[in-house]
Amino acid sequence: MPTPKTDLLRGTLDLLILRALILDRDHGVGITRRIHQITRGTFDVKPGSLFPALHRLEERGWLASEWGESENRRRAKYYKLTPAGRRQIDTELANWQRVSAAIAWAIKATS
Amino acid sequence: MILLRSLFRNVFRHREVEQDLDAEVRAHLELLAEQHAANGMDEAAARRAAQIDIGSSAGLKDAVRDVRRGAWIEHLWRDFESGLRQVRRNPMFSAVAIATLALGIGVNTAMFSAVDAVLIRPLPYDDAGRLVMIWDDMSRTDSPKFFSTPPEWHEWRLNNTVFTDIAATEPGLATLSGDGEPEELAGRRVTANLWSVLGARPLIGRVFTEDEDARGVRVAVISYGLWQRRFGGSPDVLGRKVTLNDKPYEVLGVMPREFYFMPARDIDIWIPVSFSVADFTKWSWHDVHCVARLKPGVTVRQAAESMAALNLRVTAPHFDHPRAAVVTPLREELAGKTQTSLIVLLCASASVLLIACVNLANLLLSRGAVRRREVAVRAALGAGRGQLIAQLLIESLVLAGLGAIAGLALAVPVMRFLETLVPETMASLRLTLDWRVLAFSTGVAIAAGLTFGLMPALGAAQIALQDGLRDGGRGSAGARSHRFQYVLIVSETALAVVLLTTGGLLLQTFRHLRQLDLGIRPERVLTFVTPLFRYRAFDRRVAFVDAELEHIRAIPGVVNAAAISRIPLTVNDQSTFYLLAGQTNKEAAEQVALSRVVSRDYFTTVGASLREGRFFDGSDRRSESPVAIVNESFAERNFPGRSPIGARFQFGRWGSKAYWYTIVGVVKEIRDRGVAEELRPAVYRVHEQADQSGDEPSGIVVRTSGAATSIVPAVRLAIWSVDRNQPVARVQTIEDIVARQLSGPSQNTVLLSAFALLALLLASLGLYGVLSYAVTQRTNEIGVRMALGATSNDILLLFGRRGMLLTLAGLAIGMALAVLAARSMTTLFYGFRPDYVPALVVVSLTLVAVAAVACGVPARRASHIDPTVALLHE
Repeated sequence: MPTPKTDLLRGTLDLLILRALILDRDHGVGITRRIHQITRGTFDVKPGSLFPALHRLEERGWLASEWGESENRRRAKYYKLTPAGRRQIDTELANWQRVSAAIAWAIKATS
Repeated sequence: MILLRSLFRNVFRHREVEQDLDAEVRAHLELLAEQHAANGMDEAAARRAAQIDIGSSAGLKDAVRDVRRGAWIEHLWRDFESGLRQVRRNPMFSAVAIATLALGIGVNTAMFSAVDAVLIRPLPYDDAGRLVMIWDDMSRTDSPKFFSTPPEWHEWRLNNTVFTDIAATEPGLATLSGDGEPEELAGRRVTANLWSVLGARPLIGRVFTEDEDARGVRVAVISYGLWQRRFGGSPDVLGRKVTLNDKPYEVLGVMPREFYFMPARDIDIWIPVSFSVADFTKWSWHDVHCVARLKPGVTVRQAAESMAALNLRVTAPHFDHPRAAVVTPLREELAGKTQTSLIVLLCASASVLLIACVNLANLLLSRGAVRRREVAVRAALGAGRGQLIAQLLIESLVLAGLGAIAGLALAVPVMRFLETLVPETMASLRLTLDWRVLAFSTGVAIAAGLTFGLMPALGAAQIALQDGLRDGGRGSAGARSHRFQYVLIVSETALAVVLLTTGGLLLQTFRHLRQLDLGIRPERVLTFVTPLFRYRAFDRRVAFVDAELEHIRAIPGVVNAAAISRIPLTVNDQSTFYLLAGQTNKEAAEQVALSRVVSRDYFTTVGASLREGRFFDGSDRRSESPVAIVNESFAERNFPGRSPIGARFQFGRWGSKAYWYTIVGVVKEIRDRGVAEELRPAVYRVHEQADQSGDEPSGIVVRTSGAATSIVPAVRLAIWSVDRNQPVARVQTIEDIVARQLSGPSQNTVLLSAFALLALLLASLGLYGVLSYAVTQRTNEIGVRMALGATSNDILLLFGRRGMLLTLAGLAIGMALAVLAARSMTTLFYGFRPDYVPALVVVSLTLVAVAAVACGVPARRASHIDPTVALLHE
């Protein structure tokens, strides 16, 4: 059973992963760390969510993966954005803005 | 592109992908541990923390696999493998399931191949669905569908509004001589438009033209079989002259191998019918087959109405009671009685399969309870309802697939058996497992798997998600699934009753056919045909026939020999009109009798019995006042309650020059028209006195003291000693003829009885299975009852009664259905009206007895349960 903390909307997690990789390639642990940083500690992505998401994005052709060496000379699988992935960020962003605006409206309307 | 690449990768490079994922998860674990260590944990604690972060690495990998493209293929494969594992894990259950399915699918596959060949596969004509046959409605002489006449064909062709064209064919036996031994050919004399009406083209050469037909030119179109057999398949057969009945005919064309047309598949030659003007006045010359092509947009029904009205108009000037015409689809004519028997057998085999499926559904429902824990564990591990159902269904499909494979092996011998069911009017077919049949059995297997798998799968998934792990499993779903199982039991019992009853009726019919009095003694009689086209002159013919009979009688081992115009018991309606003294011509036009011309000692040779008067004897010489012998049907129809001896009648022609025949004897019915055919009035004349008849006594019957076939070479020599060029054709014994005519009914009976027994066996197995499951499931309850004072007899009754009630319900429903089913099978009863009572009584007793055993064993087991053990049973 997924824990509440990582039970993000799937689109949100995809967007966060794509955003985390916008500057450079990174491995799974690095991506988790970056998401933690860019969301100021709000999101702590567990491997149980991260792994399926990474593979899903790769299947879609938005990420590419390769084996590389970490800072401490360990073997690690690195993910990077593909050109299609870069374009996808804009789409995901637009989606997210629509969703968050809608939710903001909904909350205002009920309170 | 991406999609295809990843699908390819996932499906075909599965191992690499898996290894990669494995490495990735491990690397991730180490990186996490490193991070925890960097945050100040010691190495062991960091590892533990990392492991906790990841959770179950198997679960993680599963989650990743699910997002891959082609994941469903992998699921399917996994479920398939698990299905195979289930098969191996429960060898008894699987063996029973596969065997039942193999039987069900096997017989259905074979039945379908026969149905496909006879009823579905396209006929060798253009747009064959638009082809019909036209017949005379001769209901007044007991033939609602009779051959039509040349003038009717002529009038119909000119005046009909519903057909693009109508073609006619007439019988035309011919002896082919010239190079090689003379050969008797089945031929047809046909109108030139036959080919255009059928939409059939020759393989090589051409067919004859209207002009050639009208002028009576001697030309012929031959079959592929004759071309290969007699002319070695050489193309220079075209233009060659062949000798038919001693006259030269030019071969114009050869029909393709798959071509055949009514009334038999083995017709070898087609020649122009060349009707003369005189032929178009023969309103009682009933030997024409008419085939017609419907105009676009016209239905068979419309054509039938239009043609019935037309023929009433056309025949009105010639008869007091004009006759209508009957229109039937060609396919129906070709399939004949086989159509009903195939449909009945297909229904029966489908019922067997249905019973097999019902049984498996029951077994799976029972087993579902056993597997409840396993399913519940899967559900707890996160398998969704859909996944559970898919998995259970795929297990059923695996069983069905294995059953189908075994079934195909079984189908082949059954198909060999069914081949002989293909009617003689159709091409000789070898039933094969072609793609149509394979597609059918695949479809049947899938349908079967879904049928017996769906309810148990739904049930199991339901139960698992509700209360699977809660207790030992006597949950609330029990009552409902029981009710469903009872419905299944009742329906399979009902189906079995239907099959048993109809099987019993067929068995009765067949026994009746076997015991039919043929009117002759069939054992040790050889028959053959000596075509008499060289003896057109009456006196020469009589002399030749007498001479050949005399030579045959001289052969050692021959008891007697005689001649007749039609071999007895062969399906043949050579009949003509008669006029009794005192009747008018118009009355005569509505009464027909079979006409047979025989040699003097014909009746003693075949072993017929005399009812009254005398047989022919030496005093019956050529005379202006000839004699005749009639059968009982003739006597009863025309002389009810009095003796016909001495009565006089004219036969076939009337007027001052026509002979008056005096009846000198009445013979007991001989089944001249065929073993299972209705009896008709018949008239026998001595060939020496039959100079006013066209019938030639070309059939020879020989009674022997030893095996009938042993004298065949001697017979040929005897005949050739009279005429060196005389052909001898269609050699067969009377027993052969009887066996061939009974082979259809006997096969129907054997097959339906086999299906019925199978159904009974399966139904009783089903009853046994369900009841013994109920006993196991209710052991606790039984314990409580016994502890509260129920005797073992009470328990026996409790379970026995349940089973017997189910059986009786199935029996009642089945009987009602059986009576309905039997009504649609009447053509299979060959005019015989079987008695339902004995069949129903025997079926009821059998079923109740079998059910008593099937219920008794589990019920006894229940009554012997030790209450202390039962109460502890979990």
